[in-house]
Amino acid sequence: MKLSLDLSVVFPALVASRLLLALTNLPDALKHDHQLSSPLTSYLNLQEGIYLFKNGIDPYSGGIFRHSPLFLALFTTILPTSRTVASVIWTLCDAVGAWALVQIWRARQRVSQTSRDGLIAGAYLLNPYIFLSTLSLSTSPFENMLTLIAVMFAAQGNASPSLLAAALLLHLSLSSVVLLAPLILLLASSPVSQLASPRAFAKNGKNVAPLVAEFAAYAAILSLASTLVSGGWAWVPQTWGASLTLPDLTPNCGLWWYFFTEMFDHFRPFFLMVFSIHLLIYIAPVCIKFQYDPLYATFILLGILATFKPYPTMADPGLFLSMLAVFPEIYPYLRYPIVTTLLHLHAALLMPLFHHLWLNQGTANANFFYASTLVFACANGAALTDCVWAGLRIAIGEPQDGYVVVQE
Amino acid sequence: MRTLRFLWVLGLLPPCYCRYFSGETFSEELVIRPLPDGKVASRFEFTTLLHGATPRNPQNLSVEDHSQHYTLFPLALGQILREYAVTELHLTLNAGKWNYDRWGYPEESDVATGASLWAWMAEGSGSASAANARHRVDARWRDLRNALAGLFCASIASLDEQRTTSPGRAFTPVGALPAWPASVQHAFRHASLPSENVCTENLTPFLKLLPCKSLSGLAHLLNPHRLFDADWHGMGLHVSWRPNEGVQVRLTFQSVSDPLRAGGNSRDWSLRLLFDRVVDRACPVAASSRIIVTLPTKELYSVHPEPSSVVDGRGAFDLSDQSFPLDLRLRWAEPFQHATVPSAEAPLSVRRMLRGSAQDHGALAISITNPDSDPVSVVYLETLPWIVYLYLSTLELSVGGVRRPDLLQDISYIAPVPHGRAATLEAFLSLPARSTVTLHIGVGRSFLRYTEHPPDAQRGWDLPGAVVALLPAASGNQSSATDSTNKGAMQEMKKWNQPQRIYTPALLVDPATPDFSMPYNVIIFTCSLIAFIFGSVFNGLTRRFVVLKSPE
Repeated sequence: MKLSLDLSVVFPALVASRLLLALTNLPDALKHDHQLSSPLTSYLNLQEGIYLFKNGIDPYSGGIFRHSPLFLALFTTILPTSRTVASVIWTLCDAVGAWALVQIWRARQRVSQTSRDGLIAGAYLLNPYIFLSTLSLSTSPFENMLTLIAVMFAAQGNASPSLLAAALLLHLSLSSVVLLAPLILLLASSPVSQLASPRAFAKNGKNVAPLVAEFAAYAAILSLASTLVSGGWAWVPQTWGASLTLPDLTPNCGLWWYFFTEMFDHFRPFFLMVFSIHLLIYIAPVCIKFQYDPLYATFILLGILATFKPYPTMADPGLFLSMLAVFPEIYPYLRYPIVTTLLHLHAALLMPLFHHLWLNQGTANANFFYASTLVFACANGAALTDCVWAGLRIAIGEPQDGYVVVQE
Repeated sequence: MRTLRFLWVLGLLPPCYCRYFSGETFSEELVIRPLPDGKVASRFEFTTLLHGATPRNPQNLSVEDHSQHYTLFPLALGQILREYAVTELHLTLNAGKWNYDRWGYPEESDVATGASLWAWMAEGSGSASAANARHRVDARWRDLRNALAGLFCASIASLDEQRTTSPGRAFTPVGALPAWPASVQHAFRHASLPSENVCTENLTPFLKLLPCKSLSGLAHLLNPHRLFDADWHGMGLHVSWRPNEGVQVRLTFQSVSDPLRAGGNSRDWSLRLLFDRVVDRACPVAASSRIIVTLPTKELYSVHPEPSSVVDGRGAFDLSDQSFPLDLRLRWAEPFQHATVPSAEAPLSVRRMLRGSAQDHGALAISITNPDSDPVSVVYLETLPWIVYLYLSTLELSVGGVRRPDLLQDISYIAPVPHGRAATLEAFLSLPARSTVTLHIGVGRSFLRYTEHPPDAQRGWDLPGAVVALLPAASGNQSSATDSTNKGAMQEMKKWNQPQRIYTPALLVDPATPDFSMPYNVIIFTCSLIAFIFGSVFNGLTRRFVVLKSPE
């Protein structure tokens, strides 16, 4: 009996089951979890900001609310803020994200329907990193959804919607500016897999400048809208500035928090600069190397964001891992998928455990959790380097007997 | 012969001359009040009035100030007040927890644990030029803290911006604020440090501010061995301006002593028992010098010597009428009976707790009991350092388990800034008659940089106590319901139209600590990992693939 992965069956079933779970008491148990929601995405902080905003106190005057003013506008005018409605909206976000991922897959294959569609949707909707993050009502599902929508429209060649989604994403998370370059390359070329047949960037770069200008215009309009909503520019240092200066050292699954907890005061600005620029230095090499397949460049940069972002949540590595489903052609060339999987398993089990032992039980100290985040970073790094290797190695193909492929 | 002539010159001096120096009056008072639980509260008050003086206008800070010549007024303090143009200043250094439920409302209302400093200062000259930057309120507030820290040998200097707040309603000026022409509004600054310890090194500079030091008069009773052994003790400095009188400096010392622990075998007390000293002689420069004793109303007692006058159940002993050495003694005829129920003399009973075992979040629970038959309006003031932040959206008010959001009339909130500013929450509540209102707010706990933790970080941080202030309109209803022993304090409060403030004890919060021993290790581990991933990625991206013949 062949297991049916028909999208029309799998998709509604998965969304409905997730909705059921979201309506239980699980969100209340998970909303304090530091791995699933960072200070920039926490639902508690969002509620606090909305409460302050509704009561006429500028939420950006303090240091708790660090969400974009667009969230304020969304939740104080259009959407109500009850927990049940929130659970539905958050699940819908994931549903839209999964649908966008399927569309990306279809655009890459240049077909309107494949037998793999259900599997792709499942890879996103069943990914525990994304799933638990949504249950904790962290706002990172919004970021993931916007990322996938921006990539989807870029893959379909719709420049304006893609750039608008990217501008919205920039407002939600400053680090995602990294994705702008591959998105524009993707708009200028095609999403079809060229990994096995690399060639120079075929299209001329003339239409890149208008695209950048359009993105800048969207970002500027959204910034003005944010200023109008929040009544001042105070949101800039509170939202974007937080990604650069790291004022809140709440533990998360990333590398920044403990490093800057333990950093000597006089070196703090220097290392903040180093860590911020470190995120940017990957853009050019990755985009140049994968110029023939910008969708793959986007994927690699997502992996870099997931590993090195200032305030990551589990949803960020989750997006990277789920997106791996779109590139089945590289699977044979992965060198150590088992090791990567085991590292992820190891970190995913130890992180919540050590976090609980440190902060709730009081029987462990910060080093335990820090060590598990290092393992998690190793897992993400292993997945990343393996994907870089496989994406390049596929071009050589299988050598004949008696020959091996190495890097010089 | 020369000695005789000298005495003759002395005799020429009118006896009153030395008491009324040109424009300065010094008076002292000791109030002793037996408490319902058998302990004895005593309050020393030393008041110096500088007649006709006005606070310095900060607009004129760049102009040379007139010279300061004082006879009784403490010069060290006067210099600070003029230098930083402070209009009104209050400093309290208290140790221990004032037990309102057993001791009633204190004579000196400000009994916050640790050091508290609050002041009103007008804005300096408006231009923001660099020369005038130190005339700004915040710069002068910083300098004032440093100066007072030096004067009182206390850690007031550490009441920095992270602890400074400006609550609007719970504190009102005791005196008046001068209306200078073209002057901007007065600014209020408040800061408190609950972990400050109060001891002899603070009392010595305190005594130095008195004209008679501790040599004569009531100040002679300030014996550090006994005062710092008391169940509760605290000192205060209050500077205010009275428009028709001048600048008044009030130095107070309040303590709660246990006569049993002091060596007696009953609740009978005497000055020698409480302070291990007696009044040897009066302070010659004091315009008035009195001891006021609250006398029992329902029981038989004997007091020696007889008071000069008895008003309202309070016997006054004027030191000018008494013979020296003076040792007041109060004896009860009946043995002490412990009350079976705590006699709630305070207008309100407030409890405050930090709940939750997790080190990253919890809840603040406050219950305020109004025993009175009338509803009262209060301001609940919470000033929290940024290490604990409130989730105001989770604020819940309930009476007996029933949610009552209508009791919250207004709220004013200044959000905390990490590594920068403390939070200020002022909630205006109306408390129904004979009920307990419970306030429940979710809190989060910040994670601190390793350099921001205090020494002995695992002990945690002391959070300043909350303040519940009865609004003046409501305190008028209050005095009728309270016991006569407290009447004096109440009337004093009403006279100055001060909100009655009730302080809760400090709370201890333990933020999660990093490992203090391994900053190098963390920097090395994280940097190595990042360099490894960076290297691997760039290695893959830059090296070309080649096909080689297999060696075997």
